[in-house]
Amino acid sequence: MVPDFVLRPPTGRYHALNPGTKLVLAFAEAAIAFGVRGWTGPLVVIAIVVATATAARVGRSLVPFALAVIPLVASILLINTFLFPGATDVIAHIGPLAPTWTGLGAALQATLRVAAFALSVAVFALTTPTDDLLADLERRGLGRRGVFVIGAAIGMIPRMAERASEITDSQRARGLDTEGSRWRRIRGVVPLAAPMIIGALSEVEERTMALEARAFSAPGRRTILRPLPDSTGQRAIRWVAGLGAIVLVAASVAGILPVP
Amino acid sequence: MNGQFSTRVITLMPVAIAINIVLGVTVQQVLKLPIYLDSIGTILVGVLAGPLAGALTGILSNLIWQYAPGIGGGTIGPFAVTAGVIGLLAGLWGQLGVYRSRPASGNQLIVAAVIAALIVGVLVFPIFNNPAYTDPNIGGYPSWVFTAIVVIGVVVALAIAGFILVRKDLAGFYVAAAGAITGIVAALVSAPIAAYVFGGVTGSGVDVIVAALRQGGADVLSASVGQGLISDPIDKTITSFVVFVIIASLSPRLLARFPNGERLTATAA
Repeated sequence: MVPDFVLRPPTGRYHALNPGTKLVLAFAEAAIAFGVRGWTGPLVVIAIVVATATAARVGRSLVPFALAVIPLVASILLINTFLFPGATDVIAHIGPLAPTWTGLGAALQATLRVAAFALSVAVFALTTPTDDLLADLERRGLGRRGVFVIGAAIGMIPRMAERASEITDSQRARGLDTEGSRWRRIRGVVPLAAPMIIGALSEVEERTMALEARAFSAPGRRTILRPLPDSTGQRAIRWVAGLGAIVLVAASVAGILPVP
Repeated sequence: MNGQFSTRVITLMPVAIAINIVLGVTVQQVLKLPIYLDSIGTILVGVLAGPLAGALTGILSNLIWQYAPGIGGGTIGPFAVTAGVIGLLAGLWGQLGVYRSRPASGNQLIVAAVIAALIVGVLVFPIFNNPAYTDPNIGGYPSWVFTAIVVIGVVVALAIAGFILVRKDLAGFYVAAAGAITGIVAALVSAPIAAYVFGGVTGSGVDVIVAALRQGGADVLSASVGQGLISDPIDKTITSFVVFVIIASLSPRLLARFPNGERLTATAA
């Protein structure tokens, strides 16, 4: 009998889906958002994603992800509206600048694509704990090496960022200039990057020994303590979503998809 | 699993991925410089462990950067293809012994330094002469960009020549060549992705260059190729040199344990 605190029952029907299903859905949404040209693809994906998020009760948490794409969207809108090559339908002449309707249209479409993609990633990230995803991938045959690489990488990023700021502080104590002009900051990259990388590499030796001592390269599969539920229905969803996305993108690229 | 994926390599890859992401975020989103510097880990793994490991490191770095809870976001995901290619090439250079120290002296050094500087000139020249920038039908190119390219070219040529002469090491020449080739290939692979997936704009510091090229009248794909050819060779050359310096500072005993180790230690020459 597996104790409750290990089982960690998920909250909500979308959360309870198998992580593999959620991953396939996320990729399918991304493919449709970018692959189906025009307005329909991104708008449909945004609708699906917002509906899913509301159903999974993570709607409000989507907002920071949506806000995070604002700098990119601003870039897209400015560059495409004002500098779209070959467009002649000018909106208004503002001094030397000539924004065009074609440019604005292209900019808005690109914005929708980026927003749809970002939200699909957000829904996935908010509803899928990393270790659940990795456990499921391992069960499907990714192998403990793959699982280790992904899991360790994700876990190491905050530590590496911390180490970067530690190194910055200690270099500053030795006189490194990290404010000031851009040129100074560029020169500050090397005394930062070098200790960080060399320190990380020396860890590699110790970690290798630690892993080997724990039979990391022993043959045979590990037993998963907490099997994640899967069902025929979910398998069907995965196949439909995956193949459907491929078909829709192919149809759009071939020009036979009759949607705006 | 074959020799390329020993436990040591498996331990190295997450470290390399984390380095890629932390440095990439710092340079692109915090400092907003028009370079990427997110391939140090990829090239390092490629050189130490071979093409497959390098390619996998690159691809996983991009996917994790995009999808990992807490870090995820931005536009880096679709460029996993480019990262894979960079790792593959790095593995190739590693196996060819490009990153091995080659101490030399006297005339050999001077010849290498001069040739390296000339190669930088040759690389910069096509950027100058690309019809997307100079054809009056397409629009030409704001003149400050020409000056910028010349300045960057001169600085890079001097830096590489200086590296070769000061360290008395011919490897600087090979590393620069490897970096430049990797950069050009990366630019050519990335441009269609940037142009068709994102409309040419990715929200990092390089957008300034794209804007400049569009202002000159280049279409979306040409602007992406143009921007790539300005940023990528320099970025990959800098990255290659950083990786070379790191490898040169590791002990041969440590290096020998990696699959490519023997091709990296000077005694094997």
